[in-house]
Amino acid sequence: MDDIYKEIILEHYQNPNHRGKIEAERNVGNANKRSSNVSLRSKVYVAGEVNMTCGDSLKIFAKIINDKIVDAKFEGGGCAISMAAVDMLLDKVIGMKLSDVKKMSGAEIEKMMGVELTPSRKKCAYLGLEVLKKL
Amino acid sequence: MKNYKNLFPIFKNNPDLHYLDSTATSLKPQVVLDKMMDYYINYSANIHRGLYPISERATEEYEKVREKTAKFIGAKKSGEIIFTSGATDSINLVANGWGENNLKEGDEIVVSIAEHHSNFVPWQELAKKRKLVFQISDLSFSEKITKNTKLLAINHVSNVLGTINDIKSIIKKARTINPDICVVVDGAQAVAHISVNVTDLDCDFYCFSGHKMYGPTGVGVLYGKVDRLVQMNPVRFGGGMIKTVDLHNSTWADTPEKFEAGTPPIGEVIGLGVAIDFINEIGMENIMVHEKELIEYLFGKLKGIKWINILGLQNLVKLSERIGVVSMYSNDKRVGTSHDMADILGRKFNVAVRAGHHCAMPLHTKFGIKTGTVRASLGIYNDKNDIDELIKGLKHFYKIFNS
Repeated sequence: MDDIYKEIILEHYQNPNHRGKIEAERNVGNANKRSSNVSLRSKVYVAGEVNMTCGDSLKIFAKIINDKIVDAKFEGGGCAISMAAVDMLLDKVIGMKLSDVKKMSGAEIEKMMGVELTPSRKKCAYLGLEVLKKL
Repeated sequence: MKNYKNLFPIFKNNPDLHYLDSTATSLKPQVVLDKMMDYYINYSANIHRGLYPISERATEEYEKVREKTAKFIGAKKSGEIIFTSGATDSINLVANGWGENNLKEGDEIVVSIAEHHSNFVPWQELAKKRKLVFQISDLSFSEKITKNTKLLAINHVSNVLGTINDIKSIIKKARTINPDICVVVDGAQAVAHISVNVTDLDCDFYCFSGHKMYGPTGVGVLYGKVDRLVQMNPVRFGGGMIKTVDLHNSTWADTPEKFEAGTPPIGEVIGLGVAIDFINEIGMENIMVHEKELIEYLFGKLKGIKWINILGLQNLVKLSERIGVVSMYSNDKRVGTSHDMADILGRKFNVAVRAGHHCAMPLHTKFGIKTGTVRASLGIYNDKNDIDELIKGLKHFYKIFNS
C-alpha cells in the first residue's frame, strides 16, 4: 500500500460522499464569485477554481444559514489527492461556521488526510480549501 | 546496447534515477560542464572589444560556437545564427521583431494545433495586437494555407506526440500556394534526436534551445535566412547591438549582433558548443539507432497494458517517424489521473516523467483530455532497464487503485 494512497483516500476518490450540485433556492451565485446580497436566510453559494496545467477543476456548492454550512457538494475532476481531499473536507466542514473554515490552514488538510505530502501534491490537496475560502 | 550513462555525472550522484523527461530538459554530460567551468575559472571575461588576452579568447570561443551551430543545422553562414535565451525567446524574437514589422491587419497566419505554447501564444498575441487572421491548422498542417497566408508556425517534432513532421514537404506545399510565406519552425524537440538541415528544409526561421540537446539552460538559437533577418527589427536595445548612439538617435550593428543586446550567456554558449561536439562525436546515426531500439521496446511493453491509451496513436505513424516521446493516459475511470501516475512513478520508482498538458493545451483539448497525460521521453542515456522500471511503476499504480 502506498503511504499517500491509503485506503481511506482511495475510498473518498472512488466513492465520494459529496459529489453533485445544490440548486440555488434564491440568488444564484456564479462560479469564482460570491453572490452579492448577503442575507441571513439560507442561501447557496458557489465557488470554483481551475488548475489547467494539471487538469484539476473544482466547483463547490454550499448551502449556508447564518454563517453555518448546512450542506455542501462538489463537481469537477482531478487527481485522486485533490478529489479525495475535497470530499473529506466537505465531510468535515458541514456543520461548521464558514468563518471558521476560512481560518483553516493547509496543515489541517494534511492532518485530516493523515498523510504528509510533497510540495507539488500539497497544491492538489489544498484545492478544496482554496475554493471554500472563496465562498 | 551501448550504455551512455557514465558520460553523465548526475547518474553518479543518483545511481537509481530513471530519467524519462528529456523532452522537458536533457541531462548534461561531463564534457559540457567541464568546458563551462573552464571558461569561468580560466577566461571568464566579457566578449567583444576587450583588448586583453582572456577577452579575446572568450570572444573567439563564443564566435566559434556560432560557426559550429551553423554547420550543425546546415545553415549557409554563421551570420544566420542568433543566440537567444532559448527556443521561447527565439520565437518571441521572430514574432516581435519580424512579425510586428512585416504583418499587417487582415494578413492570415497559420499555427498548428500541435504547437507547444511557445509557438502558439506569441502568434495568438501578435494576431490580437495587429488584427491578423489567426488560423489553426490540424495535424496535416497545410490545409489552412491560402495565398494570403503570410506566416506558418509549426513544430519539427511534437513535444507531446513525438511525431516527426515532414517539414520539407509541408514547406514545399505551402510555397506553391504562397511563395513568400514565412515559415517558422520550432525545432526544440528535433535537434537532439534527428539530423536537421535548415537549408534543405527551406524554412525561414528555425528555433531551438541548448538545454534540450545536452547543453546548458539559458541559451538558445534562432536561425534566420539572411533575407528574413534583414526584414527583422531588434526588439531589445542596449549595449552590443548598436553602431552609433547620439543624443537623439541610434543606429544598429550588423546582424547577428543587432539581435544580441547586452552581455550574452557566454559560458552557456560555450557549453552549447560542446553539446554539439558531444552529439557529433556519438553521431546522429548512432543516437537514432539507440533511441529507435528503445522506442520499439517501450511501445512493445505499453501495448501489453490494456488500460493505457497512447495519445494520438491512431493518427500516427510508424515508429520510424517518431522520436522517443509517448504521452499516455488511463482509460479506466477508477484509477487516478496523470498527476497520481507521475507522483507514484517518481516517489516509489525514481522514474522521472511529466504529468499534465506539457505546454500543449489546445492539442489535449482536441483529443478530449482534461486531466492531462503522463509523458515519458527518451534520451541517449536511457536503457531498457529505465523502461522496465516505468512499466513496473505503471503496474503498481494500477494495482493501488484496483486492490
